[in-house]
Amino acid sequence: MRFFSFHLMPYIGLDPAYEGSAWVTCPNSLFDPEHGGELYNRYLGELLYAEELGFDGVCVNEHHQNAYGNMPSPNLIASILARQTETIRIAVVGNALPLYDPPTRVAEEFAMIDVISGGRLIAGMVVGGGPEYYSFSVNPAHARERFQEAHDLITKAWTTSGPFEWVSKHYRIRYVNPWPRPIQQPHPEIWIPGAGSIETMEFVARHRYAYMGIPYFHLDVFKRYFSMFRDACEAEGYEADPLQAGWLVPIYVSETDEQARREYEEHLWYFVKRLLPGITIQPPGYTSVRSLASILKSAGTFMLNVETWDQIVDGRYAIVGSPETVTQQLVDALSALGTGNLLGLFQLGSLPDHLTRKNMALFADQVIPKLRAEFPQGKPVYRPQAAVA
Amino acid sequence: MPQTLTEERIDAPLGKIQVFRAGSGDPLVYLHSAGGEPTNPALEDLADSFAVMVPVFPGFGESEGIDEIDDMEDAVFHLLDVWELLGLDAPIVVGLSLGGWTAMELATRYPERVGKMVLVNPVGIHIDGQPIAEMFGRTPAELAEMLFADQSHPIAQAMHAMSEFTGDVGRQVEIPIEIVLPMWKAISATAKLGWDPYLHNPKLRGRLRRITAPTLVVAGAQDGLVPPVYAETFAAEIPNARLVVIDGAAHWLPFEKPEELAELVREFSRT
Repeated sequence: MRFFSFHLMPYIGLDPAYEGSAWVTCPNSLFDPEHGGELYNRYLGELLYAEELGFDGVCVNEHHQNAYGNMPSPNLIASILARQTETIRIAVVGNALPLYDPPTRVAEEFAMIDVISGGRLIAGMVVGGGPEYYSFSVNPAHARERFQEAHDLITKAWTTSGPFEWVSKHYRIRYVNPWPRPIQQPHPEIWIPGAGSIETMEFVARHRYAYMGIPYFHLDVFKRYFSMFRDACEAEGYEADPLQAGWLVPIYVSETDEQARREYEEHLWYFVKRLLPGITIQPPGYTSVRSLASILKSAGTFMLNVETWDQIVDGRYAIVGSPETVTQQLVDALSALGTGNLLGLFQLGSLPDHLTRKNMALFADQVIPKLRAEFPQGKPVYRPQAAVA
Repeated sequence: MPQTLTEERIDAPLGKIQVFRAGSGDPLVYLHSAGGEPTNPALEDLADSFAVMVPVFPGFGESEGIDEIDDMEDAVFHLLDVWELLGLDAPIVVGLSLGGWTAMELATRYPERVGKMVLVNPVGIHIDGQPIAEMFGRTPAELAEMLFADQSHPIAQAMHAMSEFTGDVGRQVEIPIEIVLPMWKAISATAKLGWDPYLHNPKLRGRLRRITAPTLVVAGAQDGLVPPVYAETFAAEIPNARLVVIDGAAHWLPFEKPEELAELVREFSRT
């Protein structure tokens, strides 16, 4: 089992009078630059703290024009981490490839981070969330084609000597020859986040990359998704390695179950009620007919529809409690999912710095060792009897 | 007597497409809106005077070929194919919204292939400071507010009922796929043509002067999607055009004022 600390860098202190979507049209006059700068520096500190605590890696991701996550350029944050950390893996999960034109920009920036960090980058590539297509005007009906072409171009740029000419439907470049090249050969580990699209799973399985489940669904939805992913690998003629799958989930550990809820609950509801609204806006043409049915099946369980604390706990929308409770719930969930990467959101919503750090420290000290013992590296994580429980 | 349109499938170069037709007489081709409507009550009325034909555009309904279409250039070439397959020389073309835009793209490039043109709440150009409202990412209830002047219209009522399924912006519940799929296909195909630039072709306005077909522009006075200045501009800049504004109709005028529209088309065809 590998442990990652994932940060969204949310905007805390959104005007209580504002009740609209946190995405695309959330007025940027609500962003206070001084306060925003403090938040960035606080959050960078929390990411650096993960290395101190012995996590395997940290994760950052890309979102635009929203209060939910203030990392329009995760590569900027990753480049700071590349310089300020020593050993930890830096996972950028990911760059929204269709938004980069030409996408060789991603090949260049990822290679820079890989080189500066001494080969510690995990290169995440993502189609991009629905809201980004409203913020960028890139045609969502071309999102899948552009993602596919950009992926092919970037990996070719990393693995083939340049210069070469690239001609595809959406990108034409006379001379592809990026400097620098990545340290990791043939290329950095590639992660692909997905929200249930069958095509994405088949693509990840075909390339033997790792599939990261996009969060905020009921645990049953993830059971179905990771089972579909295992099937996709089987269809390619091999058994999925646990490290080819990752589950992203909010986690909060405190001394007791009661204390955990008391410290955490208001910050979680700030996330659900203030930062999530608008995230599900669907751009047209972005999903295939095949995947639409699969995605619709899970829409009703999305965290935005959750109203009560019991629903949060029962659906494992967040894992919250004492070290014992959190350990037990994670053993059960990971056995059912079979994911060899655990991506924890230790800061969520308005959770302040001191509680975020306490949470991370308790998790590293009292949960990680038990989970490492329970799921030794190289051994299967998936336990079929747990999946039906 | 209103006539129901019946479906045929024809083999077009890009794939099989649906064509709905009824009636006999001079050919009248209807180019549908972003909703992909294969008929409307005005057409059923007009079928007693014309050979009405509705070729469903690729990606809408069950028409194939959207993978080969990325822009209006592709759309026009597809229409030329359809004209040949239907044996059309220069028919009357009636287009609603997106269909009106498509009709103008054909009529600017191949003016001889359009005999007369009726544009109902057309899009296709951009006017600074007068944006066309956002149609993507809307709930069915929000769309109903733009499409209908009278929210008690049965289709508007059905759209409001559908919003009970889909909820408010940012919220979703489980929705039966058979309800979602046709809407999803229509809006996805529309995105191919009209996501960016949004529902217009920056070159079209300068080409309107090439249209030779006598043109009737019909605008719903309560259109919630396209500001009135659009219809006024089309009527002013298409060489042989006039404007009629119908009160009590919004964007989906053929559904709200079918008799008025049918009568206007009949009268216009005789002049």
